[in-house]
Amino acid sequence: MTKKKSQAANEDQTIETNKKSVSPALKPQKEKPVVAKQVKSSKEEEDLLLDSDSGADSDYDGDSLSGSLNSDDFDSDIFDSEDDASQRETEGGDGEASEDELHGHEGSDDDEVDSENGEEEDGSDDEGSEEREVAEESDSSEDEVAPRNTVGDVPLEWYKDEKHIGYDITGKKITKKEKQDKLDSFLATMDDSKNWRKIYDEYNDEEVELTKEESKLIRRMLKGEAPHADFDPYAPYVDWFKWDDAIHPLSSAPEPKRRFIPSKWEAKKVVKYVRAIRKGLIKFDKPEEEPNVYLLWGDDSTSDQKSKHLTYIPPPKLKLPGSVTYLFICFSSRIPFSEVFNLYNLAFPGHEESYNPSLEYIPTEEEIAAYELMFEEDRPKFIPKRFTSLRSIPAYENALKELFARCLDLYLCPRVRKKRINIDPESLKPKLPSRKDLRPYPNSCYLEYKGHTGAVTSLSPDCSGQWIASGSADGSVRIWEVETGRCLKVWQFKEPVKCVAWNPLPDFPILAVAMGQDLVILNTELGTDEEQQKIEELLRLGSLPELDESAAAIVSWHQDETFGGIKIRHFKNVSFVDWHPRGDYLSAVMSAGETRGVVIHQLSVHKTQRLPIKMRGLPVCTLFHPHHRGMFIIATKKNVRVFNLQKKELPIKKLETGLREISSMAIHPGGDNLIVGSKEGKMCWFDMDLSSKPYKTLKNHPKDITNVAFHRSYPLFASCSEDSTAYVFHGKVYSDLNENPLIVPLEILRGHSTSSSNRGVLDCKFHPRQPWLFTAGADSVIKLYCH
Amino acid sequence: MPKHYRPAGKKKEGNAARYMTRSQALKSLQVNLNLFRRLCIVKGIFPREPKKKVKGNHHTYYHVKDISFLQHEPLLEKFREIKTYLKKVQKAKAKKNEELARLLLTRQPTYKLDRLIRERYPTFIDALRDLDDCLTMVHLFAVLPASDRENLEVKRVHNCRRLSHEWQAYISRTHALRKVFVSVKGIYYQAELEGQKITWLTPHAIQQVFTNDVDFGVLLTFLEFYETLLAFINFKLYHSLNVKYPPILDSRLEALAADLYALSRYIDASSRGMTVEPKVDASSSSQSNDRAESELRLAQLQHQLPSSEPGALMHLVADKEVEEDEETRTCKSLFKDLKFFLSREVPRESLLFVLPAFGGIVSWEGEGAPFNEDDDSITHHIIDKPSAGHMYLSREYVQPQWIYDCVNARIILPTEKYLVGRVPPPHLSPFVDNEAEGYVPDYAETIKRLQAAARNDVLPLPGVGKEDLEDPQNLLYAGVMSRTEEAEAAKTKKKMAELEKQYHEELKKEVTGIEVDEEATPMVEEGEGEESVPDASQIEQDTADMPTLMMSRKKKKLYEAMKMGQKKKSESVERIKQRKKNLKADQ
Repeated sequence: MTKKKSQAANEDQTIETNKKSVSPALKPQKEKPVVAKQVKSSKEEEDLLLDSDSGADSDYDGDSLSGSLNSDDFDSDIFDSEDDASQRETEGGDGEASEDELHGHEGSDDDEVDSENGEEEDGSDDEGSEEREVAEESDSSEDEVAPRNTVGDVPLEWYKDEKHIGYDITGKKITKKEKQDKLDSFLATMDDSKNWRKIYDEYNDEEVELTKEESKLIRRMLKGEAPHADFDPYAPYVDWFKWDDAIHPLSSAPEPKRRFIPSKWEAKKVVKYVRAIRKGLIKFDKPEEEPNVYLLWGDDSTSDQKSKHLTYIPPPKLKLPGSVTYLFICFSSRIPFSEVFNLYNLAFPGHEESYNPSLEYIPTEEEIAAYELMFEEDRPKFIPKRFTSLRSIPAYENALKELFARCLDLYLCPRVRKKRINIDPESLKPKLPSRKDLRPYPNSCYLEYKGHTGAVTSLSPDCSGQWIASGSADGSVRIWEVETGRCLKVWQFKEPVKCVAWNPLPDFPILAVAMGQDLVILNTELGTDEEQQKIEELLRLGSLPELDESAAAIVSWHQDETFGGIKIRHFKNVSFVDWHPRGDYLSAVMSAGETRGVVIHQLSVHKTQRLPIKMRGLPVCTLFHPHHRGMFIIATKKNVRVFNLQKKELPIKKLETGLREISSMAIHPGGDNLIVGSKEGKMCWFDMDLSSKPYKTLKNHPKDITNVAFHRSYPLFASCSEDSTAYVFHGKVYSDLNENPLIVPLEILRGHSTSSSNRGVLDCKFHPRQPWLFTAGADSVIKLYCH
Repeated sequence: MPKHYRPAGKKKEGNAARYMTRSQALKSLQVNLNLFRRLCIVKGIFPREPKKKVKGNHHTYYHVKDISFLQHEPLLEKFREIKTYLKKVQKAKAKKNEELARLLLTRQPTYKLDRLIRERYPTFIDALRDLDDCLTMVHLFAVLPASDRENLEVKRVHNCRRLSHEWQAYISRTHALRKVFVSVKGIYYQAELEGQKITWLTPHAIQQVFTNDVDFGVLLTFLEFYETLLAFINFKLYHSLNVKYPPILDSRLEALAADLYALSRYIDASSRGMTVEPKVDASSSSQSNDRAESELRLAQLQHQLPSSEPGALMHLVADKEVEEDEETRTCKSLFKDLKFFLSREVPRESLLFVLPAFGGIVSWEGEGAPFNEDDDSITHHIIDKPSAGHMYLSREYVQPQWIYDCVNARIILPTEKYLVGRVPPPHLSPFVDNEAEGYVPDYAETIKRLQAAARNDVLPLPGVGKEDLEDPQNLLYAGVMSRTEEAEAAKTKKKMAELEKQYHEELKKEVTGIEVDEEATPMVEEGEGEESVPDASQIEQDTADMPTLMMSRKKKKLYEAMKMGQKKKSESVERIKQRKKNLKADQ
């Protein structure tokens, strides 16, 4: 034990002896209890002192005490032993024993606890306190119930893997008890009603049952009270030291000076606080709190002064179904976060969002499975569910997320006022004049001309309107009687016919046919004898015409023996032929000819000339102006250029179509308006007086436009396309220059088979006199549409 | 020289001068993004969309005026002050001067948002107009669990709860509630205040889930503003009722989580003034809580004495004057003579809000309830269990959905379909205009008929015998039925006639067409028959499409978009109809 303890013990001893000296040294047995009581009380005080001062233990002091007492009253010892035995009998042996053992164990572990226990022991029961006190003094109990295990204060881990737990006093190994399995131990604990009192003593490897007193004691200790019930911590102080006869002070040192000087540091601190108080940093009474809320909008009349700031755009509200608001606010072009998060947006809820919607709102399982296959954007964000009762609705898992998205929208999304168009879409359609007033126009199929075996590529009506010539991909050229559909003549060529064109002069019934590299001028033999003579004269090449060098490289004239006409051979395939309105000149287009792609033949003198102008781009088709002699219009793939051939200059006009690829072109008989069809299905109307940009662009066909046509006398024009339809328009040009042409779509003509080939309708031409339209189908049929 | 070259020293013009990007704004304000965000949220400043985006498409643009508006905001200064103050605290902490740090923290500068509210909403109506988001947020946060991690304090949750209850109590008291809809997301309410329709969503009263992917900083900043806003609005509303705000509640009821009821009683008590008081007291109080009530009354009286005494008379007049438009009156008297008792498992908060708003008297199972389950005058017992235990014969046991449906239909619906243990009929949204939507659910039709019947109920029907009058409801029902049926039959008949006529015409046309063809083209090979006469639908389609050719591209796009929208709508309606058909076929 420590030095301190022994010192304390010594002191104790002196006190004890002192006491003893006060009490009579030898007493009769009867007086014993009184003495013991006295001793006890003094000892308690001493304990208290020791506990607070030095922390010495009563065990020890008991030991020493017993040693000191041994000499002067040994009879107490005897008495004690007796007493101890009797007590055991009364209290029930095992309880006492276990208690002692516990003490022993604890004593070795922790002295202080033990000391308290010791105290407790003598305070716990009133009647036997004195005897026990004596017992303690004699200290026999402590010796008797020494801890079973003698290993001392070593960590028990050392014995973790051993079979024994330590050694008993004789040096034998103490073997560990067999461990019960958990279930058994649990059952045992459940069965045993006193189980709560049992403590496992690790050190001795045994179960200890606490007595009632012990449990009380523990309870008191847990509360933080003194362990003994009858211990009075506030007992009046009994001064045992006699001061009266002391003549010397305990210390003779003079009082230090600092005891008489006010503290500097305290003064500093005080100054600091004073300053803080003066500054108002420290406030003693809490400032009165202003009311947090008050009447903010007292009366609104004062508040209508104009704000200096920008107009506030309130955030878009939830969408109300069926509400008619013409001005609404939305989050502008940037995608709102509620959509980024792929949430069901904050619209007003419909029936499907109900907790108990009608059954028809709930998608079937197949539909839900089909949602999985959709793109994530297309997938419905909310799948209706049905709960049969209110109590079964779960918490909505996206509540916070949606709220957050809305918040982001509110402060991050630009807001824009937009006009909501809440109109019937039909009202967007322009008001067009009634079609009935624009009659006549072709609207129904009246006749079909069948006989060709290949796709009919080209049509040309006779200027009288009695005949119509057609060329086909099977290499035949036929002449039909328009009104009866009778096929008058057939010429069979070796190559597919590209283009046929009837001479515009009524007394020259000749036909220009383009096929391959050849351009053949045919005599149709339809006119009177006089006319026939003229034609034969014209078509007879007396001698090969002399061509200038540039033209000679491109074309050569031949007499066609088989059909009795003229054959003009070109250096490239001829794709388009057009007659001058006077009937003497004839232009031929070779798409692949590039800069030399357009030539003009003169029939009367059997001459050919190249264009005196520089060509740009691939020519597609050409037109002679109906009135101006020298005006010549060439459409290349992108643009249309108007030239004056006589002046041999730069083009007079360049029309910018904005189309990707021009396929055809037609000019209004008035000569100022032009329509251009393109391969992207668009048709442009040019008013050449107005501008070089199209006056109107119509996107009417889903597929390539193959041809466009104007009627000679009626205000009609038409387009035909590879989608096997032909559109008929009313196109009225006013003589008043201020008035724009009126364009009204009139009719979509269907009828050509859509499936036989992909090429649909290849050509359309108007009847020269009647409002009739001929269409040449790729299904080898020619149709006549009448009004 | 670049196209948009502007010589140095020349001022910018147009969009370049009017708008600045966010980073420019940050720079000019000298704040960080966090602070900027907070400022924008509380000031209600949002980006704008310039016509021409000078800096590029991927930037956010703010108006220069908005930013200068922020620049002169005193709050900006305050935020800076707080920032520097916190640095001071941090310094004290770093020097281990805990005491100073603590002292400093208690005196942290604070700010108030009331001025901002006044600035953003100069009139009360403005504030009401923007209230939807505010209410939704406060109601959601009222049921969120407080969480340290998200910096969501218990105090705030309680505040939200209190505010939401105050609001509900006012709406309920003034009978301003118009529509209720129980959806999967929660319960939607729509109220009408000063001509403004205010819609908000309250979550179901179940433990809410936290998600990780939301930034609580943003939410809490919004919440801060909304809490203040709602407090001021509540003040104004309570002021209009002449009730002291913030209300003093009966602590006993508050402890029992019946705040709403406590609030409504508070409002009742203090708004009726002293003259009517004893009577109200006698009628509403039962002997069980007499004592507590009197205590409460005493407390309230003490509280209100200074505030309401001078205005008491005037208020009484005002109360009559306020007497309201027709809708409010119908709402007020919907559940007029009905007494409800709520079972333990029904959503009490919602029903305690809705039922008094429509004039019903409510009690519930649990402590603090105004009357007990064994009260004889209870007419409806709201229950949400598969079966009720002990049933009183004097009352009807209905499911809670009945109340919501009644509220939306504005009539007392027959309870048969809603009785305990039955699957209730579908709950329909009151926000949908069925006609515009193009599909009317069956139950909506039924409700419509019932409504019509109820409307006529008041008027005595001419020409109806006494024996028929016994069950006017049924009779009218039948009458309405037959009328609608008749109308439908007439319609179908007309349609049939039209179809027939059309068919005849077509037939005629066909015959004549072929005749003409045959006359004119004897030589033509046959096989033109069906081709020459294209079908009528095709022609119709063509004529319909014809004018679209002449539209400008912009208009055409618009037209197509509209058409597409219409098509989508009709498709979804079709889908629903198809599903319905399938369901019928299955049965």
